Amino acid sequence: MVRPIALRDRTLYRTAVIRHGNAKTDGLTPLFQAEEKFVLGETTTQRRKNMKRIGLLLTMTALAALLAAGTAAAEIKVGIMVPTTGSEATYGKDMENAIKMAVDEINAKGGVLGQKFTTFTGDDGCDPQMATAAASKIVSASVDAVVGGYCSGATLPTLKIYSDAAVPIVIPAANSTKFIDLNPGNAFLINSIGTYQVETAVGLFKKLGVKKIAIVHQGDGYSEDLASLTQKEWTKLGNEVVAFEVVNKGEQDHSALVTRIKSKAPELVFWTAYYADGALIIKQLRQGGFTGKIAVGDGSTDAKLMEIAGKAAEGVYALANPLPEFLGEGQKFIDAYKAKFKTSPGPYSALSYDGMYLLADAIKRAGSTDKKKVTAALKATQDFKGLSGPVTFTDKNLLSRSNFVVLVVKDGKFILAK
Amino acid sequence: MAGLEERLFVFFDKRSHRRLVQGLLVLVAVLIPLVGDSYLLEILTNSFFYIVLCLGLNIVVGYAGLLDLGYAAFFAVGAYTTGILTSQFDWNFWLTIPAAVFFSIIAGVIIGGPTLRLRSDYLAIVTLGFGEITRIVARNLKELTGGASGLIGINRPSFFGLELSQIHHYYYVFFILVLLAIFVSFRLQHSRLGRAWQYVREDEDAAEAMGINRVAIKLYAYVIGAVFAGVAGCFFAGKMTAISPETFQFMQSATILMAVVLGGMGKIPGMIVGALALILFPEVFREIGSIRMLVFGLVLVMMMIFRPQGIWPERRN
Amino acid sequence: MTILDIIIQQITNGLILGSFYSLVALGYSMVYGIIKLLNFAHGDIYMVGAFVGFILLSFFSTFLGDGWLGILPSMILAMTAVGFLGVIIQRIAYRPLLSAPRLSILITAVGVSLVLFNSVMFVTIGEYKAFPSGLGYEGITMGHVHITYTQMVMVGATAVLMIALHLFIAKTIYGKAMRAISIDMDACRLMGIDVNKIIALTFFVGSALAAAAGVMAGVYYGSIHFFMGFVIGLKAFTAAVIGGIGSIPGAMLGGLLLGLLESFGTQLPWIGTEWKDVFAFGLLILLLVFKPTGILGRTEIERM
Repeated sequence: MVRPIALRDRTLYRTAVIRHGNAKTDGLTPLFQAEEKFVLGETTTQRRKNMKRIGLLLTMTALAALLAAGTAAAEIKVGIMVPTTGSEATYGKDMENAIKMAVDEINAKGGVLGQKFTTFTGDDGCDPQMATAAASKIVSASVDAVVGGYCSGATLPTLKIYSDAAVPIVIPAANSTKFIDLNPGNAFLINSIGTYQVETAVGLFKKLGVKKIAIVHQGDGYSEDLASLTQKEWTKLGNEVVAFEVVNKGEQDHSALVTRIKSKAPELVFWTAYYADGALIIKQLRQGGFTGKIAVGDGSTDAKLMEIAGKAAEGVYALANPLPEFLGEGQKFIDAYKAKFKTSPGPYSALSYDGMYLLADAIKRAGSTDKKKVTAALKATQDFKGLSGPVTFTDKNLLSRSNFVVLVVKDGKFILAK
Repeated sequence: MAGLEERLFVFFDKRSHRRLVQGLLVLVAVLIPLVGDSYLLEILTNSFFYIVLCLGLNIVVGYAGLLDLGYAAFFAVGAYTTGILTSQFDWNFWLTIPAAVFFSIIAGVIIGGPTLRLRSDYLAIVTLGFGEITRIVARNLKELTGGASGLIGINRPSFFGLELSQIHHYYYVFFILVLLAIFVSFRLQHSRLGRAWQYVREDEDAAEAMGINRVAIKLYAYVIGAVFAGVAGCFFAGKMTAISPETFQFMQSATILMAVVLGGMGKIPGMIVGALALILFPEVFREIGSIRMLVFGLVLVMMMIFRPQGIWPERRN
Repeated sequence: MTILDIIIQQITNGLILGSFYSLVALGYSMVYGIIKLLNFAHGDIYMVGAFVGFILLSFFSTFLGDGWLGILPSMILAMTAVGFLGVIIQRIAYRPLLSAPRLSILITAVGVSLVLFNSVMFVTIGEYKAFPSGLGYEGITMGHVHITYTQMVMVGATAVLMIALHLFIAKTIYGKAMRAISIDMDACRLMGIDVNKIIALTFFVGSALAAAAGVMAGVYYGSIHFFMGFVIGLKAFTAAVIGGIGSIPGAMLGGLLLGLLESFGTQLPWIGTEWKDVFAFGLLILLLVFKPTGILGRTEIERM
């Protein structure tokens, strides 16, 4: 910015006066301190005299407090690693609740091997940095095993920390394909990995007889992974992905995107991320007059989808790990959960609940809480009956089958698609 | 309490006393891995990492008086440089550090060059915008950055054949980084450049009248701050072995800024206290873990009103 | 869809999005105009407004039923409540720092933003809330272009609020005082204007407008969450700068312009949705560097 010379001169004159005043009489200083300057006022000599006084005290107290933490347990201690803060906190809480509910139930029946379970939650914040700290915290709390892992990106870097401590971890939600190569052997995924979901999705699209689809994800690891895998598979079959889009978390207005999608005339829109923004997209697609089909990935299969999207959700196809509603014991689980936490279970609640029961079962089969034996017992799991279906692991510790089903929204509820 | 503070002042007036305490602190820090468990080491390593970032941001905010709300962008540049070069081009970890320094300088110049002429509040929003742009670019350049899932499986650095894989390795690595950062900060503060920053911060026009090139001086602060964050980012990538754009959100920049303000802008020991307080506080008081940012926000407001100079006390005359 | 359809539809989308930006941008601009503070917490005020509206509407809809009958009183009450919240924030956090260095008050604003954001996150446990508006999407369809009645009401309501604000600023004695303070605060004090009161009033009006936008967003989009304020806060600031920060008509124009730019930016094949925000922020940076006074801003000559 160019300033007129006259003003510049005046300013200089004024500052010169200030400086002069400063030098001469200290009494002048406060008068000018209201000016825009940032007084941190220390001269070199003063600073050299500055010293570490509080630092030592503070560090020592903090260290003492930290060292006091972490005691040995007579019970079986289970670490829970989920995001309880940040944008994913709501999903994390859903999981934590379900795990704690399972623990309470098991304890009420007398526990396993005569010992009761206690839990210890570490908040991974869905962030790799927070997750590694949470994992160290959990390991240092000398847990016997861990159930948890919602965000793949945050869970992956923690695997090494757990494997160094030989702690087995049952992962109920995170399902990135990257787990295949980076699993040190102690992680067990009870959610089908992304590729299975893609198979189910592609199968559904074929059955619906569509050729041109649009894919929308949310710019996070999970939904992008699912979106690009689907794109690859779909184009491999000679079909067309006319639009591949991303929306930003926290944005509410997707109408411009809807118009863009509409102008490409897809027969189906596939949303790969979570329910909250999914509901907005669905609503705005219908509001914008899109009449084609809509499908959503497993992160969106939640009752809140219908609550937010309302009538617009009718006829939407949803891929899901079998929801408890469609399973024998499911309704009982939902009722118990609602009674206990005054809210509906989230999309990964049932799997988290299963994860805890699977762990208890493995400890029972191992006959001890020895970490190596529990890991071996987990690996040897054969047709463990969970709410969301039988669990058997492949040699990569992945679920040996696809547990995905296709649901469709009818009268504000998910029902199995025929 | 005041009496104790006074006595401490007197005690620390002697250079030998100061040296003694500093030496003791370093000794304690070196010995901790012998007694601490991995959780303690993880937390302290994390604190060290934030101390380096705070010292870097301190150069921009504390020394030069420029509000930067997108500091995480520079940290991202370092982390991604190491991540991309080691995982996709098979570079040796140590060779990526000069590369990261180079890219940090470029980023500092690109962001700082056109914007440092702006008024302080505009600068704040521009840096915020750049922070967001950096994150989105990292998310969108899929081939290079791994997109939203980020880079996973970054090689860990090794040091004369020893692979740095355990937490105590990183504890020492980051501890050395902290010492280095303190040394550089200290030397800068007392250099010709440091005095120039002080002039510009206190009165830009007067400084210019004294023949200081305002924009160039600010740009130095920006670039040096960027290099601090860039180098810290390299080691961050090496330690985490996984980085994703989510790590470099606005909250990251806000957290670092908070530690700087908390400790006391412009003061090196203040940065150490600020970063330690920021990381240790939620760990020690677990119950408030979920509302830590709320508490920090309140503290930030109260600090500005009641104690704008930060936790670290000002020398009284 | 033909090109014309797309253009008409994107103009509609842009105007609606722009209305929200404008309402929030007004608060930024008014506060900046009067005390030169970049109120970082303003986006969060918008978010708090949406949640207050949510609570009120949940209450009103129990006996007034779904639809506009319950929405109107909720909106007015939410505007009042959040207006006072703005005044309280101003009184506690900003007023003691009015004569402090600018960096201090900026940092305070960041702190206030964190407090609001995290309080709501804590109270709602980070959950999304479905806004019980009960509005459908009946509307007019012309070819492939579809405009709902709700959308028309939204744009209409924004227009009414803006005209009211304009009249308030231009015709009332308070508006006159605001304009006077933005020119020279000390002179106003000497002339016997209760400066603190007028600043508080500015915060009240700005926050009330943001709350109105928040409630409207809840009604229109149907879901609210604790971080809805962050993105719109940034965008609205961009809008305020485009229009010329400190200028009321500038904020209105800037908001609409940014809304339109974003809508068309989304449609452009070489930008697309991935790069939309880079486009918006890049524009902001370019504008700040090359024309910091915006479109309608006064060419201020000031000491840097």
